[in-house]
Amino acid sequence: MNFEYALLIPEFILAGAAAVVLLADAFRRDLGISRRLIPAIAALGALAAGIASLFYADRSTDFAGLIGVDDYTLFFRVLFTVTVLVVILGSLEFVERNIRHQGEFYALLLVSTIGAIYMAGARELLTAYISIELLSFSLYVAVSLAKDDRRSGEAGLKYVLLGGVASAMLLYGLSLIYGAAGTTSYEGIAAALGDSAVQGSPVLLIGLAFLVGGLGFKASAVPFHMWTPDAYEGAPLPVTAYIAATSKAATFALLLRLFGTGLLPVQDDWQWMLATLSVATMVTGNLIALVQTNIKRLLAYSSIGQVGFMLMAVTTVSDASGSALLLHLAGYLVTNLAVFIAVIAVYNRIGSERIEDFRGLAETQPYLALVITTGLFSLSGMPLLAGFVTKFFIFQAAAEEGFLWLSGVAVIMSTVSLYYYLKVIRMMYVVAPAEGEEGRWRPSLIAYGVTGVLFIGIFVVGLWAAPVLEVADDASAVLFG
Amino acid sequence: MSDIPIENFLVLSAVLFGIGFYGVLARRSAILILVSVELMLAATTINMVAFAAYFDHEAFTGVIFAIFIITVAAAEVGLALGIVLRIFRERRTAYVDDASELKW
Amino acid sequence: MLELLERIPFPQQLDRIVIFTGLVAGALVTPIAIVLLALLIFDEITAAEVVFWLAAAVIILGALGAVLLPNIVHATLSLVIALLGVAGIFLLLGSEFLALVQVLIYGGGVTVLLLFGLMLTNAGDDPKVTDGAQKPFAFLVGILLAGVVGVALVDQDWAKTEVAVAPFTTLGERLFRDFGAPFEIASLVLIVALIGAVAVARRDRDEDDDTVEEGESS
Repeated sequence: MNFEYALLIPEFILAGAAAVVLLADAFRRDLGISRRLIPAIAALGALAAGIASLFYADRSTDFAGLIGVDDYTLFFRVLFTVTVLVVILGSLEFVERNIRHQGEFYALLLVSTIGAIYMAGARELLTAYISIELLSFSLYVAVSLAKDDRRSGEAGLKYVLLGGVASAMLLYGLSLIYGAAGTTSYEGIAAALGDSAVQGSPVLLIGLAFLVGGLGFKASAVPFHMWTPDAYEGAPLPVTAYIAATSKAATFALLLRLFGTGLLPVQDDWQWMLATLSVATMVTGNLIALVQTNIKRLLAYSSIGQVGFMLMAVTTVSDASGSALLLHLAGYLVTNLAVFIAVIAVYNRIGSERIEDFRGLAETQPYLALVITTGLFSLSGMPLLAGFVTKFFIFQAAAEEGFLWLSGVAVIMSTVSLYYYLKVIRMMYVVAPAEGEEGRWRPSLIAYGVTGVLFIGIFVVGLWAAPVLEVADDASAVLFG
Repeated sequence: MSDIPIENFLVLSAVLFGIGFYGVLARRSAILILVSVELMLAATTINMVAFAAYFDHEAFTGVIFAIFIITVAAAEVGLALGIVLRIFRERRTAYVDDASELKW
Repeated sequence: MLELLERIPFPQQLDRIVIFTGLVAGALVTPIAIVLLALLIFDEITAAEVVFWLAAAVIILGALGAVLLPNIVHATLSLVIALLGVAGIFLLLGSEFLALVQVLIYGGGVTVLLLFGLMLTNAGDDPKVTDGAQKPFAFLVGILLAGVVGVALVDQDWAKTEVAVAPFTTLGERLFRDFGAPFEIASLVLIVALIGAVAVARRDRDEDDDTVEEGESS
């Protein structure tokens, strides 16, 4: 076994940065550090970790058979460090006003990124489980950190209780799979389950069902989505953005590696479960989104709808759908973060999350209105934008694997989603601004910068996806190549 | 060591898991839901250790897994109680139903 | 020291609860123990089986108490009994270490934590809890779940093997060498839980607000 701890350096950097942030925050007054320095340290740590992970390009080695340090992990290391960097930079002003214990907030974001990375990198059930818990624990706390908002604690409570139940279900499933396979490493499981004696046995089926339920909860797939709208609404906006981005992507990274390698031999036993979940998630998420009046809840249900599309890619697991899923995750992260960071910038100004209060944004702040509009169009899958290309690849891969009906449902639901996105866009462009609010205003310079980069990113993925797709292909080749 | 078939342990764990799940669904106090989750986790550890003791004689991964589960379960209780305390201070209740500002 | 103890809002009925719980538990388990001993004497079952059925009875009764008792303190204490029974099962499965850990962490840590939670949320003043209206539904789901999983587990053709005792050296090697990385991640989980619980539960007026701070410091 290979115990080269140097392979884990990017995560050591993240953990170290989190420790420095905590200490700097605790002794801020004694050391005379400005409050502004804390997010700067956190951002630098995330940046350094992202750069450090690039040194592991083209390596296909692992840590003691537990954590793969390959192109797949690299893809998510970069994706998650960039996400946390964007969230930190994009929410500076918001955090200063609306978050209790800022040092802890930034430290938790950094630590949770470690959990997310190892969810993608884990090649063994125990490592995967403990990484899930690291990410979840950080999020339970982060959700409850809003200042002067009673919804925050309530959202945290619901999240932690339902999360605990989901973890228990997941663990029970894992224990049954461990019992059926006799080992916890993905490779070992694949080898053991290749033996036809275990295939289709009730124990394995029940284990898979619990596993899908537990992971479905973390990914907020219907019917395990109950926590999502509440957690999204109660959480401070940057945390909502972070859950929507990192937590989802990490769960799918884990799902793809586990189901694409370890559980591939028993594909027939779990494919129908994921297909059912996928359809239920797409339909329910998009239909409930139609009646929402709070922008966070709207985005919550829209993200549930998106989860349906991603589940589709895991259902039809293959080389093509693997790289399509990775591409979709990258595009989805860029798009979703663009929308959220823009919404945060608007919230800093108007102090409201109601869609109604976004009226006339095109007049008072045309730039942010444009970013939100582009992002929402991309989420609904309009051509030229990221969402179109990435969804197209997923639908195509699914159709090729014989799931044409699933693709059909997905296309219909994409169209439905356009309707509620248009509601927001109409509010911004058609309705006049509220009385006395007609004047132009400007977001902070850093909000301009972050949303600008993401805005360009949406078009880059949409028009010139080839380089990203190439990287995604390399990453997916680790699993299926 | 003993001639008890593994099924005994597994069924015991299944029953314990069912009881825990009942508790999660039926209880309305946050602390009692936590108690029920602990029961479910205990069922899982029994499973893990039983499989390790019967089938995994070189590696004993299940026992290691159980150690991690116990650790995480204890940490989870602490964290959840922190959140319960905050809720209680804000609205003097530890009932899940009373915390209903967010609509389901 | 005594002053400190007096300040803890300890419900006065706690000693009575302990005695009462002990009596009830004893009354429930004693017949089972007698039957098992009789079977043992007549050589129907082995000593290991006696321990198993006794532990199983303790676990099931404790678990039922934890989810059914209307008094929140009773339910929590009942959980402890169930979890101590689980420690007995670990002993039977040859994991002395886990049995020890189970007793220390659950019997010691988690119980005290839960009871403190109860007292800090004044549940001791009004210990009766009402369960949700979905009780029959929950009952059905619980029974179904246990039944389906149990039947599937019995149905499976498990290999006929003996229990192996996990040697301490093997466990140490596995935990600290092979699973070194997850162990580190677990330490992060604990840190997050610690910091998180403090950050969430701390009162807002302790908030490090610079403006307030400057006025109050010294």
